[in-house]
Amino acid sequence: MAACRRLPLLLPKKLPQFRNQKYVHTEAVVKEPVYPPIVASLTAKSKSARLRQIEEQVKKICAAPVQEKLSLVTRIQRQKFVVYPQTFARNADRWYQHFTKTAYIPGLPEKFTLGQETPAGEEGSRPAAGYSTVPGIDDEALADIRALVSRVILHEHWHLLKKGKPYMFRRQDQLVGPFLRNLVAELTHSLTKYNPLLCLSSLDFSPQVNFYWRRGQRIIPKGHRRGHLEPQRFQIDDHPHSQIRIAQQLPQFAPLEASFTAEVPEVKYAPNLMPLFRRQYDNNIFTGAKLPDPACYGHTQFHLVPDRYHRDRKALLQQTDQVEVFLRANALASLFAWTGAQAMYQGFWSHEDVSRPFVSQAVISDGHFFSFFCYQLNTVALAVETDANNPRKNVLWGTESLRLYDSVQDGEVVGLNDGVIKLLVQFLMNRP
Amino acid sequence: MYGNTFPETLQCLKTVTSLFSQKVLVNDLKRLSAHGGASNLQAQRQFSVSHRLTAKVLPPRKPRERVEIPGLEMVTYGERMHYVPGLTKPSYPPWERNYKDPRYYKAPPVHEMPLFKEKPCYVYNQRTSALEGVRQAAWLTKTKMISGFPPQLLSMAETPELQLPYQDERVENSIKHARFWDMTVDRPDKGKYSNTLLLNMLHLCATLQSSHPAIGRRILAENYSLAATWKRGEDLFQIRGRNGLLQSSMDPLPEVFGKKDVEDTLNHVLETFYPVSPTIDLQKTIVYKEEMNSTGFRDDYPYPHAHTLYFLESADPRCKLRPEQFRAKMVMFTFGNALARAYKLYGTQPQSVLDRPITVQAVGTNGRLFQFLVFQLNTTDLSGDDGIKNQMWLDEDVELYDFAKVRPLIKRKQVKVPAGLAGYKPGTFSKFLALYLHGAV
Repeated sequence: MAACRRLPLLLPKKLPQFRNQKYVHTEAVVKEPVYPPIVASLTAKSKSARLRQIEEQVKKICAAPVQEKLSLVTRIQRQKFVVYPQTFARNADRWYQHFTKTAYIPGLPEKFTLGQETPAGEEGSRPAAGYSTVPGIDDEALADIRALVSRVILHEHWHLLKKGKPYMFRRQDQLVGPFLRNLVAELTHSLTKYNPLLCLSSLDFSPQVNFYWRRGQRIIPKGHRRGHLEPQRFQIDDHPHSQIRIAQQLPQFAPLEASFTAEVPEVKYAPNLMPLFRRQYDNNIFTGAKLPDPACYGHTQFHLVPDRYHRDRKALLQQTDQVEVFLRANALASLFAWTGAQAMYQGFWSHEDVSRPFVSQAVISDGHFFSFFCYQLNTVALAVETDANNPRKNVLWGTESLRLYDSVQDGEVVGLNDGVIKLLVQFLMNRP
Repeated sequence: MYGNTFPETLQCLKTVTSLFSQKVLVNDLKRLSAHGGASNLQAQRQFSVSHRLTAKVLPPRKPRERVEIPGLEMVTYGERMHYVPGLTKPSYPPWERNYKDPRYYKAPPVHEMPLFKEKPCYVYNQRTSALEGVRQAAWLTKTKMISGFPPQLLSMAETPELQLPYQDERVENSIKHARFWDMTVDRPDKGKYSNTLLLNMLHLCATLQSSHPAIGRRILAENYSLAATWKRGEDLFQIRGRNGLLQSSMDPLPEVFGKKDVEDTLNHVLETFYPVSPTIDLQKTIVYKEEMNSTGFRDDYPYPHAHTLYFLESADPRCKLRPEQFRAKMVMFTFGNALARAYKLYGTQPQSVLDRPITVQAVGTNGRLFQFLVFQLNTTDLSGDDGIKNQMWLDEDVELYDFAKVRPLIKRKQVKVPAGLAGYKPGTFSKFLALYLHGAV
């Protein structure tokens, strides 16, 4: 019996416990796959091969360093919609909100308080406490800044002797542009002692900001690729009046999760009905300086309302309601492009969504009226594949246009609005 | 809409074409001669006007000369209101518009203009390219020139307390930003990068406001128009125009030359360049406003003192000045600013010695080379060649960096100049900062 089973004659009393060996704490035997994984072909003329090619490309982009990532994402030129931040289109802000998946919240985040809206209780306590609504700046410094702002206004509009009127349609360029430049420079420099972030900042005048992204898809109506699905590509080429770039990132205004419940208007029509036109040229992603620049995060942008979209002209065309719409659309597009470019400079792109929100601010002005906007970029995954289960939305906070001063008469500024100055100071004082 | 006006427009077109046919001919010939070839002819075919495109252009006919014989009454067909053979053509007095229309304004001849003067005035404007450069500017402004940088400012530049934190790194970054990182293209234009570099450097200097609050008492002005008049010898000179960026301050600049140096200029002889006249290359006008003196700002300006002028070589793309002429422009406009302010303080009568000499600084750049100028106005009595003279320190062609190349320079397979910023000289920015902080320390 033992011979036919080839068992030893003397069986040991205690057989080694083969049955329970799998419960003993040993390392599991890793079974190496003997055959390579079964995936779709890479070069076949089939849909699954195309999907695999796209997957390989995505893996390649994810593994590349940031400079390579940017060039790989923007390598191929195709027809894309050119989105102009300053546009004559009606209700452009709803369209732009749809393209950039942004929710608009009127008013500013809790960090910034409007001077006019302080409730009566605070008014009573303020003189007693002795500090103003701006943290870190006392009343004396605020009075200094107020005097500085009035000096800048008078410098441009009263003291500087000008020969002749400005050229037609160049009034904003020639009069308001230099005033805004002076205002930005003077305010930034006087606030360096309160905000050390501004000491290491970079102040650009007439910079370039570009961003390229994909959102939505359409079925190609005609041509040899008729019937295929094509993603819709967008490009923003913005030229702000001036901007401040810093080396550290600004803190978020609201947590990421809070944006899940925000509402983004959806526009069912195709983008070219806005009107938006397609062109094909170099795809650029640019924050204002190239990648090696240490000041890669954005702080504040300043925009100038050009002559053709000035509110007086809108009033002539009986489109006074579109004034605020224009400002909102401008802020939305410009800030989305800037924050998106900042995120891409950190290596986040459509398939690798941002791990922290990117925040920037903007002030849009036409010399008299100032509007303040804050933008928080929570997601850059706007392409069709990545947007399917993405609950995150970007958020834009904004104010209506507020008057800085009424007029200049006889060497005096009439009706200087303290609230607007406080807001400007608060914006520039924003720091982590 | 077109049905009604069509016969009238047709008539108008006919008259227009007959009037303009010659002009059209001339235009076509111009186009032909400029470009040559039949292809342009094809692109500009005229279907409405039927004439030979290369027909000979007849010279304009002079009207017959009208002879007036006194005493002889001319019988004209004017009263008959139509041409009558045998009667002469009526001549009417020239019609003058009784209202002002700026589109049809005929300027009076020069000697009838209200501002006409017998004596010519020589004007230096922002596009003047003076032949003799700084020597001519020194003669015109009666200035003694010293090459170099003022020693007291140089020692100020070297004190470590007056330097920026991480100065070298930050200045190098700002140069790289201006030269390489500013735009999506690889290499921005010279005009763009020199402007960006100057603004970046000004921003760096202005961040010192946290430690030196006196810097806050200054403001920059871009489009101000300067005007100053003075007599030199027997000629009248004026300096006019928009020149560059002006930094004005609430406080005046301290003097760079002591009282002894000012008195020593009595013995200095100005350099002349006979046979070249000192008025060469200046615009000679006979229609001008005498005593045209304006700083560009109103009298109650809170920043009355000029601190520094910043000149860019590429500010005006139509006018390219050579380095010597650029320095002369700097000298002249600095002098003009000082003179206009001296007139405001001390009146327009020439003063042989000013109680408090007026100091104005200037910095000129082309993106890499810097020229530093410190000008001190000691006197407004510029008619004679003797007496107290003005003084200036001029530091020429100071390099900020050697090379900023996008692609490396390779000769015979050896890298001569590497890509990126090469040869940064920290001393230049210290001098710039010293000039900026002068008066605020």
